[in-house]
Amino acid sequence: MTPHVRTAALALAVLLTAAACAKAEEPQSAPAATGSAGRQVVQSPSGTAGPTCTLQQFGGTAFDLRSAVVGFSQSEKEANPFRIAETKSIKDEAARLGITDLRVTNAQSQFSKQITDVQQLIAQGVRLLVIAPLNSDGWEPVLQQAAAKKIPIITVDRKINAKACSDYLTFIGSDFYEQGKRAADRMIEALDGQGKVAILLGAPGNNVTTERTNGFKDRVKEKAPGLTISFEQTGEFAREKGQQVTEQLIQSNPDINGIYAENDEMALGAVTALKGAGKEPGEIRIVSVDGTRSAVQGIADGWLHAVIESNPRFGPLAFETAQKFLNGEAIPDKVIISDRDYDTGNAEDSIGEAY
Amino acid sequence: MAELTSRQGGGRAAVLKPQVYAWVQDYGVYAAVLALLLFNVLFTPHFLDASNFRTQLVQVTPVVIVSLGMALVIGTQGIDLSVGSVMALAAALTVLYLGYGWLPALAVAVLGGAVVGAAGGALVAYVGVQPIVATLALLVGVRGLANVLVPQLVEFRNPGLIALGSSAVAGIPVIVLIAAALTAIVLFVVRRTTFGRQVVAIGGNRPASELSGLPVRRVLLTVYVISGLLAALAGVLATARLQASDPTSLGQFIELSAITAVVVGGTPLTGGRIRVLSTVMGALLMQLLAATLIKHNLPQSWTQMVQAVIILAAVYATRKRGSR
Amino acid sequence: MADDVAPVLEARGISKRFPGVLALDDVSLALRPGQAHALVGENGAGKSTLIKVFTGVYRPDGGELRYRGGPAAFGTPMEAQRAGISTIYQEVNLVPMMSVARNLLLGREPRGRFGVIDAAAMYDEAARVLAGYGVETDVRRPLRALGVGAQQMVALARAVSVDARVVIMDEPTSSLEPREVETLFGVIGRLRDSGIAVLYVSHRLDELYRVCDQVTILRDGRLAHTGPLAGLGRLDLISLMLGRDLNEVRSHGLTSFSRERHAEAARQPGDAGRAPARGPVVEARGLTRRHVLDGVDVSVRPGEVVGLGGLLGAGRTETAKAIVGALPLDGGQVLVAGAPLRAGSTSAAIRAGVSLLPEDRKAEGIIPTLSVRENIALAALPALGRAGVVSEAKIDRVVEIFMRRLRIKAASPHQLVCELSGGNQQKVLLARWLAVRPKVLLLDEPTRGIDVGAKAEVQALIDELAGEGLGVLLISSDLEELVEGADRILVLREGAVVGELAGDEVTEERIMATIAEQADG
Repeated sequence: MTPHVRTAALALAVLLTAAACAKAEEPQSAPAATGSAGRQVVQSPSGTAGPTCTLQQFGGTAFDLRSAVVGFSQSEKEANPFRIAETKSIKDEAARLGITDLRVTNAQSQFSKQITDVQQLIAQGVRLLVIAPLNSDGWEPVLQQAAAKKIPIITVDRKINAKACSDYLTFIGSDFYEQGKRAADRMIEALDGQGKVAILLGAPGNNVTTERTNGFKDRVKEKAPGLTISFEQTGEFAREKGQQVTEQLIQSNPDINGIYAENDEMALGAVTALKGAGKEPGEIRIVSVDGTRSAVQGIADGWLHAVIESNPRFGPLAFETAQKFLNGEAIPDKVIISDRDYDTGNAEDSIGEAY
Repeated sequence: MAELTSRQGGGRAAVLKPQVYAWVQDYGVYAAVLALLLFNVLFTPHFLDASNFRTQLVQVTPVVIVSLGMALVIGTQGIDLSVGSVMALAAALTVLYLGYGWLPALAVAVLGGAVVGAAGGALVAYVGVQPIVATLALLVGVRGLANVLVPQLVEFRNPGLIALGSSAVAGIPVIVLIAAALTAIVLFVVRRTTFGRQVVAIGGNRPASELSGLPVRRVLLTVYVISGLLAALAGVLATARLQASDPTSLGQFIELSAITAVVVGGTPLTGGRIRVLSTVMGALLMQLLAATLIKHNLPQSWTQMVQAVIILAAVYATRKRGSR
Repeated sequence: MADDVAPVLEARGISKRFPGVLALDDVSLALRPGQAHALVGENGAGKSTLIKVFTGVYRPDGGELRYRGGPAAFGTPMEAQRAGISTIYQEVNLVPMMSVARNLLLGREPRGRFGVIDAAAMYDEAARVLAGYGVETDVRRPLRALGVGAQQMVALARAVSVDARVVIMDEPTSSLEPREVETLFGVIGRLRDSGIAVLYVSHRLDELYRVCDQVTILRDGRLAHTGPLAGLGRLDLISLMLGRDLNEVRSHGLTSFSRERHAEAARQPGDAGRAPARGPVVEARGLTRRHVLDGVDVSVRPGEVVGLGGLLGAGRTETAKAIVGALPLDGGQVLVAGAPLRAGSTSAAIRAGVSLLPEDRKAEGIIPTLSVRENIALAALPALGRAGVVSEAKIDRVVEIFMRRLRIKAASPHQLVCELSGGNQQKVLLARWLAVRPKVLLLDEPTRGIDVGAKAEVQALIDELAGEGLGVLLISSDLEELVEGADRILVLREGAVVGELAGDEVTEERIMATIAEQADG
């Protein structure tokens, strides 16, 4: 029997090594952005609004970031542009600042794994934690352990439902509701406030989905009563699902004028569907959120109308905030990034800055 | 029979019900597809457009191809949970080898699927690992492998591969024709070949098949290889259609759709019986159901609930048949 | 024993119809406390249906069921069991993975404080109860570790210990050794003494005459006879059962083996005989497997029927399985026509012409999900097609030939095999093997659990095949069958051959004596 185990193992080994003689297509996209391109910009300057937090209030002691152990807990595997850019940004900035002991974990979309990841980081003696949370709730055990050791936690891109300045330090991220509103503005502009719009929703039960939806709908209701949202179905943030739903949609609702996709992947799936159905670029206006390079290219090609950016490059801002905090400055309880947008006016020039 | 039912009432139920269940198991899926079609013709705008049927058939293709392999595996009383990951691996291999042209890339991808199938089959047939355990290990491992090979979505421009996913012959999309041809082949294999008979015999009673001199292990191995091969092909076709290779999410949960199609088609999970056309119908039923709810703009949770009800009904019908 | 005692369970004019069949037609039967009542009939006579009416599986369409003096209508088997009607089926109906003790006491485990099962008390209780049934075993082991016979005794002990007033036994002795049968009869005697009514279904006439007071004979769903057993002769009983002329039965003897061929075969070894090649067609040398087989030598010549005698667990089934490569061996070799067979390959054995009809028809024989036709063609499939594609015409031909030759009763070749009676299923399996044209057939309990008519046909077929030159290895717990069927008998005990009987030595007494002799020494 063991020969057969060996056969099976050998077969898999062959597969693994098969990649060695692989030959993919020549890359077509523009070279990667360099340096500080696409850096995050804070929307509300620190100290102007809302409660703030100082080292004294938090109750910790100052230390040198460069010689400290710093932990970063990523929530999803780096398989989509957003997560790739996010992790890369943290690592790059740490390297730039001379932080030598950065420990990075990845929870592979399993919340229980993220909790253990962070607990292990705490056990390894980290002095600062940057967390990209998979969920907003369920963090109590971790927060208690961190608070006991007075470890400041900065959460990025998603909030944790807990008390700023005591359970965690602060949150840095985009305002998803605002992104929805801005997407609505672009859609209203594209259709002159008249027509039928479909929404490709994100994964159900996700706060990003909820906020991007509510922002869009509220804005449409407020500014363009002539625009009807006649269709909303989940595309689960995935390209294939976006394509399938769009195929169904344009078949049963041929009179649709615009599609709001809650991320770029679904928008690109919608583009494939429209191409397959023989539509021309611009026939149906598409607005999406994220700002990936493929989507910005889509604007340049005329398939997308506009893309609202959700900037994943948290590194500089996160470490800047941490440094300020350690220097004794007051830190706001949330740091909201000002996201840019891409449209036909700037797409071609900005492709290099997209992630 | 109907007369007996009405005349004798409850007491007869114990005798007549098995036949009702048997009928539901054999033809229920056809009736359900017809009912759903009728509903849509009446209540869904633009349903009778040719483009609509094209859309539904194109979308159901990967599930159909995967469930053909799944039906064979389930026929042997096994299960193959690795199909979705095999699709992802095929997507990864396709794009990695696209530099040689789309046909060599397709060949490598399909070969990769066969190798994974052989690994699962060897574990099941020769080492004696339970199918659910062996293929669950592959589900996790092969998806990981695919992600290592191609960590993020990669778009491609190869015109041959794009044409495979989007061109049509006489108005019928090529990938639908491929699925139809594969269905015909599997139907032939199951009905007319020695191998097909041996597959169901092994699923029906493995010790008896061994004592009857059937090459039980070889047949089991082959069945898993076929399942891997078909899943890989489905992965290539789905990739061609998406015009991008997405090993992260391609084929996720398709094993559940395939098992559902097989079960709804009346193939019992206890093996010993394979219903190829009904399996295809089962896949179509689920596709139509999802399409109907999307077209009427109902939330996805509805689709899942209705699917759950259909699966329960199908399993119940199979169970009654089995205990007769 | 008095017939004037009021019946505890009574069927009055029961009818039961299935689509297309009238399974029971106005059948009456009265079970009285303290009596053992035999229920006999060929398969399809309605015995199973009647039992299922008694036990609440079916509801009758006509007539009345009375229990303990009042009308009864059991909705489910569970209701009947709670009311005090216990049933022991042919196939053991327990949980093989659970311990013997749990199986025996399932649902009635002794509980300690807080309702936790008191394991020690449970094991003691189980061991005590089973000792009364002649089963001495570690009750903590899983049930499947026990032999079939011991499992049957556990099932019986379980059924009886559930406060029963009526115990229905369906072929209870079919997997028991003679010693266990004695124990069973002792138990039945005790049941009668304590006023319990026993309904005893069996094909073994000896047993009926030993333990039963009353007999009811069913034929084609109707009552053929009911009354005291004492006054009814064996041949009368058989003729009532078969509905055949008494003289015809008498001229056939009790089994259907012909004495002529027997005598002829016995003469064969000496003179040159009919066939030129008289060397063994299959020869097993030194078959050895730890704890199971200990150097067994068996050989079968063309046209010879070799019987394997011995008690359950003596290694008869294992010997047969070892010959066809279905049992991994530590040592030994099988030669077919002088050439060694690849070890551990059933398909190689079949290609060489050696096939096994297994003991457990349901678990190792039929493919329940397939039709009669597919079951017959299964082993011969590679020969019934070209390049891996089957030829339906060839299959049809083979199936038709064997269905006719073996008189397989099925609605059509496409009927599911699991819908046939036991006897017809057995014939389907015989057909499966005959279709591959074997040189030697190993028959493990070929007539177990099948009705008298089918049994006679199978026995006659064995005779006929041997007459045509087929070698047969016959395993049977039915000594009568073994003696009348076999030309030569090897007696096994604890995995070794302890005696060989040939010619005039082939008698039931000598077999018993051989087993007993060795047991003493």
